[in-house]
Amino acid sequence: MNAVDHSTTDLNSSTDTILEIRNASVTFDMDRGQSRVLDNVNMDIEREEILGVVGESGSGKSMFASALLDAVVDPGVLTGEITYYPERGQPIDLLDLSPKELKKVRWEEISMVFQGAMSSWNPTLSIKGHFEETLDAHNANFSEGMDRARELLADLYMDPERVLNSYPHELSGGMKQRALIALSMVLEPQVLVMDEPTAALDLLMQRSILKLLREVQEKYEVAMVFITHDLPLVAELAERIAVMYAFEFVEVSTIDDIIRNAAHPYTRALLNATPNLDVHVDEMRPIEGSSPDPVHTPEGCSYHPRCPLADDECVSEDPGYHAVTAGHDVACFHWEQSREAIPYTLPFQDDSTEANQ
Amino acid sequence: MTVKPSDRETSTDGGAVTGDRSTSPFHTTADVEETRAERLKGTLDIYLLAPLRILWHDKRALFGLATVLFFVLLGTIGPYLVEVPRSSDGPNALAPFVNWEFPLGTDGLGKGIGATLVHATPAMLKMILAGAIFSSGLGAVWGIISGYKGGRLDRFMMSIADVVMTIPGLPLIVVLSAVIEPRDPFVVGILLSVNAWAGFSRVLRSQVLAIRQESYVEAARTMGLPVWTIMVKVVAPNVMPFVMVNFVTGARRVIISSVGLYFLGILPFTTLNWGVMMNLAYDAGAMNNPKYAHWFLAPMILIVLMSLGLILLGQGMDRIFNPRIRAKHTKKVDDSDAAEPEEGGGTGPTTTVEGH
Amino acid sequence: MANTNYFIERTIQAFLTLICVFALTFALLRLMPGGPMAYLQARLSQSNQDMSQEQINNMVELYSSVHPSKPIHIAFFDYTTSLLTGDFGRSIWYNQDVIDILAKAMPWTIFVSAVSLFGTFTIGITLGAVMAYGEGSRFDIGSSTVAIIVTSVPFYVVAVLLLWILGYNTGIFPTGGRVNSSIDPGMNLAFIGSVLYHGALPISALVIAGFGARALSMRGNSIQILGNDYLRVARLRGLSERRIALRYVGRNAILPMYTSIMIAIGSLFGGSIILEEIFLYPGLGYYVFQSLGARDYPLLMGGFLFITIATILGIYIADLTYGLIDPRAGGDDREAF
Repeated sequence: MNAVDHSTTDLNSSTDTILEIRNASVTFDMDRGQSRVLDNVNMDIEREEILGVVGESGSGKSMFASALLDAVVDPGVLTGEITYYPERGQPIDLLDLSPKELKKVRWEEISMVFQGAMSSWNPTLSIKGHFEETLDAHNANFSEGMDRARELLADLYMDPERVLNSYPHELSGGMKQRALIALSMVLEPQVLVMDEPTAALDLLMQRSILKLLREVQEKYEVAMVFITHDLPLVAELAERIAVMYAFEFVEVSTIDDIIRNAAHPYTRALLNATPNLDVHVDEMRPIEGSSPDPVHTPEGCSYHPRCPLADDECVSEDPGYHAVTAGHDVACFHWEQSREAIPYTLPFQDDSTEANQ
Repeated sequence: MTVKPSDRETSTDGGAVTGDRSTSPFHTTADVEETRAERLKGTLDIYLLAPLRILWHDKRALFGLATVLFFVLLGTIGPYLVEVPRSSDGPNALAPFVNWEFPLGTDGLGKGIGATLVHATPAMLKMILAGAIFSSGLGAVWGIISGYKGGRLDRFMMSIADVVMTIPGLPLIVVLSAVIEPRDPFVVGILLSVNAWAGFSRVLRSQVLAIRQESYVEAARTMGLPVWTIMVKVVAPNVMPFVMVNFVTGARRVIISSVGLYFLGILPFTTLNWGVMMNLAYDAGAMNNPKYAHWFLAPMILIVLMSLGLILLGQGMDRIFNPRIRAKHTKKVDDSDAAEPEEGGGTGPTTTVEGH
Repeated sequence: MANTNYFIERTIQAFLTLICVFALTFALLRLMPGGPMAYLQARLSQSNQDMSQEQINNMVELYSSVHPSKPIHIAFFDYTTSLLTGDFGRSIWYNQDVIDILAKAMPWTIFVSAVSLFGTFTIGITLGAVMAYGEGSRFDIGSSTVAIIVTSVPFYVVAVLLLWILGYNTGIFPTGGRVNSSIDPGMNLAFIGSVLYHGALPISALVIAGFGARALSMRGNSIQILGNDYLRVARLRGLSERRIALRYVGRNAILPMYTSIMIAIGSLFGGSIILEEIFLYPGLGYYVFQSLGARDYPLLMGGFLFITIATILGIYIADLTYGLIDPRAGGDDREAF
């Protein structure tokens, strides 16, 4: 899908882009062909915003996360442009950087929290050791850095001294995850990318971490990219949502628009498949079919094999982006019909009004 | 959910096993309603046919299996095909590959070396069998009971295992054989494995601890099956792969220590053994006399070959049975990589390749 | 860290093992019908025909520390007491105190074991790490194959071949002894040179037969660790490759091998019985072997006890220090159902 350069066209002039992604693709060469796990993706991330990226397993959302730090694992090849706009100074294209320059951008400007905090820590190094070696590797001021680490840990409602003197196995899953967030913020990055940061945690812990993230975001004025498969979860945190399907974004909009006026059949189906106490189990519909193969992504609209609205046009032509409203783009020919074709009940308790059907 | 290039490529990997634990042929638990014959057939398929099918694609393991089979045939059919060697059957110290009546030449007494090697094998197979059954069997029983029962009994049994494990094996064997002076190959085999079961029981116990948490074991417990039934019919089949790998490791240990101890004359010469041959050749001055070199070398080559065969077979079985390693193998596209993590905390049936 | 319990538990275990070994040697000496007691009695009464049975029995106790006719519990108590006070009996063959013979032999065995242990693990760990970093490369495949083949050769075969080729056939190295006796012992170059010269073959045999297995475990451990997420995070955090190789891969891959290093001490001391006999190297194992042929039971049991005590100590030290170097150690894996 060769997307029109939508994000710049409907950019509100008052917003301030910090990270600009253009035509980003990730490919792997495999025996049975080239696997394209991120397909010409465009996105603008604004300063101090919280962007939620939602997609099912295998949709390419983790690749997107890795691409933001130019950290795609070998033998994957990342192409396109990832431009970082520092507060002062010239924009930086991440893919043009030397390894040394890249090392400076990572963690100091753009940082990341991986899924599975359990495996992100070196089991034989204390938490303090992790902070110290990170400061050391970036030639940061040591005592200032450790003070900041303590402050961050305290902001995340932990006892800094206790945590710092612990080894990873001595902390609970939630504590490890929070300590990991603190570790990723210790060099005061401008962008924090989080890949399923709450996946392994129980529901209560997920909620409390979301709350903490919002507080931390406000205090440290960092832009956050929160990647998850759980739309209702990210809806509580994010200001903007980008829905990923088959290695590209199919719909981007503000959180309210996505929830009340989802335009893409896939987004609507996703909302419909979300378990919800208020909805009778008969009304819930799993999405039929399976996610596409990265080697043979369908021609035309990649969602057409699973889409109830698909017609010949969808099979043969790439839909491109259509603006629903300013700032709400959808990659679907039939977004106007989707509301009638795929009704859904709002899966959120905040108000129980039916979404327009 | 990172899409790795090989995620969908499992079928091209060396081990042709696809799927996870639940679909693997080694983790299907028997249906209670089966008849005895069906169960036998099922067991045969799980523990023999399926591994063989996989072995077929693992060249190194196949080499190991072929070597081991060769020695088994050598010790079972061999003695019927080759006559018992006697002194002065041929000329003394005949070089190998000269006279085809004595393809490997003759020793200092004119005995055919090939024939002596063949006739030493049955007793060695008996030793191996006795030793490997003893160490795997006792280790399995000890590990299963200790791991499954838990609590005080576990603590007690593992203390004993720790004590036995700590005593260095070779000196213990030397001291015991000095006092007992074992003659029967079966007794020698058991003696040579006298403390090997302990280490294995520890490895197995940690496996049982994991299996005990599995839903099918919990189901059996909830159904009120007697503890012994659960241990024999539910737990034991699931640790069988470990027992089999240990059997191979145990076999290798028995053969290496037996040849070494016979070579030095620490065990009494009541049976033929390759080590006895080495001892006689050494005493006849093989080190100084090139005429006897082949007499000394032939048993050494055989022991190295058999040891290599057992190592490769053990590692191959490890690869087949260990889902963790199998998963690793499906991830790494290359099927040519060698040995597996051995000391990774006892998550796999470990093929110990100790030098001594 | 709640390591006190761990410490106490390990200490009790070490003592328990010690007592069990004492009981074992005692049983072998005293309880085997027609065994060592009968042999010693017969032998001593032969050479001291004018002695009474009681005097003979006292002689037997002098040699073996076990009295043949006292009640078992008293005899065992006496035996344990003598062992704990360093009295291991008297050698029949050498007619010296067992402890003197073994104490003189011990440093030589420790020398050979320690140097070969160091060599085996240094080579094995380095090779294994290099193999793991180049997983799948030609070097890796070649080294793995060599490592497996070398590992499958029993160390005594390596020893015999080395002795045969480098000792008897070419005469490059000596075929026996531990030092040239004409050189004054001491910290002089000639003496140290001679010690190394005599120790070269036994040490090489152990290293050649042993490094392969270590390399393969190191390789396996490292590959496992290289696949861990925390390595990727460490790289993103900008840590230098050097720090990652040492503090992340190296340390975490070597840690699981640490206990096996200490346990290897036990098998090295044990293996010395075979090794030192092949190289006629008068260390601990050599005397144990000699005592076998001479039916010198006090020396045999003394040698066995020496080796076992050294092993128990080695494992005890390993257990305790492991808790210091690996923060995860000492966790309770004995949860009961």
